[in-house]
Amino acid sequence: MHSFWQILQNTIAEMASIAVVAVFVQNIILTRAMGTSAALFIIRKKNNLWLFGGILTGIITLSSILVYGVDKMMKSWSARYEWTPFFYVLAVGIVYILVLLLCSRLPFRYREQIIPMIHLSAFNGAVFGALLLSQSYDFWGRIAFGLGTGCGFVLASYLVALGYERLNSDKIPAAFRGFPITLIYIGMLSLAFYGLVGHELSI
Amino acid sequence: MRNFYQKHRSRWELYDQFLLGNPILERGLVLAPIVVTCTTLANALALSAAFAVITIFTILFSYFIPKKLPYTIRVILNAAIAALLFIPTVYLVRGIWPDTVYQLGVYLPLLATNSLIVQKSESRYHQQKLPVMMVQLITAALGFAAVAAVMGTVREVLGKGMLLGRPIEDFSWAVSSLTLPFCGFLLAGFLAAALQKFRFWLGKPVHKIKKEDKTDA
Repeated sequence: MHSFWQILQNTIAEMASIAVVAVFVQNIILTRAMGTSAALFIIRKKNNLWLFGGILTGIITLSSILVYGVDKMMKSWSARYEWTPFFYVLAVGIVYILVLLLCSRLPFRYREQIIPMIHLSAFNGAVFGALLLSQSYDFWGRIAFGLGTGCGFVLASYLVALGYERLNSDKIPAAFRGFPITLIYIGMLSLAFYGLVGHELSI
Repeated sequence: MRNFYQKHRSRWELYDQFLLGNPILERGLVLAPIVVTCTTLANALALSAAFAVITIFTILFSYFIPKKLPYTIRVILNAAIAALLFIPTVYLVRGIWPDTVYQLGVYLPLLATNSLIVQKSESRYHQQKLPVMMVQLITAALGFAAVAAVMGTVREVLGKGMLLGRPIEDFSWAVSSLTLPFCGFLLAGFLAAALQKFRFWLGKPVHKIKKEDKTDA
């Protein structure tokens, strides 16, 4: 009994540390630049950010479970790298359909809001990136990485959304207004995260 | 050039995805591989070739998927076609630039689910007639390659003091931070601003500019 609690404690601690790594050290947008286009789209509708983040996290986590099985199956393949995207597409496709079927049972007013978000988040750079980056982890590690990636996506998108309205103001030179200055702002956030995790810039 | 643009504006905007409709600098699509992996010209060339093969052929093949199928199935099929095309693409890239497949890492398979294939194929490309779509796809691939090449060259020269893997003589002040993702975002931001400035210049009425020039003189 004692050892069960010990194992549980260790697993939870390990999962927490992997999730923290996924949020800060390997932030899907600010460190890896994956899912940036989805983030740039979603920040225009601030209220949807949390919903989108929740759905994205769910899809990554569920796909991680399926992909764990796929990776085990392909472990001894010599052409594993070449075939990985195809099997990952199938796995995410299955999760995509299941989540849509599940949501089709919701009342209309929720369904109307959630289903477009599912379409936007299913085949997304952030989902695929998280699955590819978590290949070295075990089962629980992948789930933790998936949860952390989703939280990291929401955190980074929220930080970008905070500055987005100001970045469209008349005070910004016309050539930089909108998308260009938003990229520069993301670059600065990315630098801040780079420093936050303890890297030093080589000059 | 401005005269030509203003006379043929609608046609220019329909076909041009190289400059004004650039997928990266105008719309922020397929940004991740550019920002992270375009740190050398070789990486940029390999990435551009892979992007062109996967994107053009996927959107071309998926053009013939019956519209009667539900949207969800069509999206999955688009991504599955791209993932299957990824297999010969890897062998092609490995054959021409042997080291780059390792350097591109997870960003090469990520091309199979790029936004042009998953989202824009349905909402933009498949709305056009086949010849128009093909021109748009080719210009988009060239636009991607141009941005990748500029990013790769600038970061390799200024960040590593090299070009195509060969050291540049008498170049000792390379700033290695330029190869980090944050510099990729900054550089892409400045390129996007330059493009926006160019777009404003193209859109300015010609007679107004001639008047301004006379006043300056």
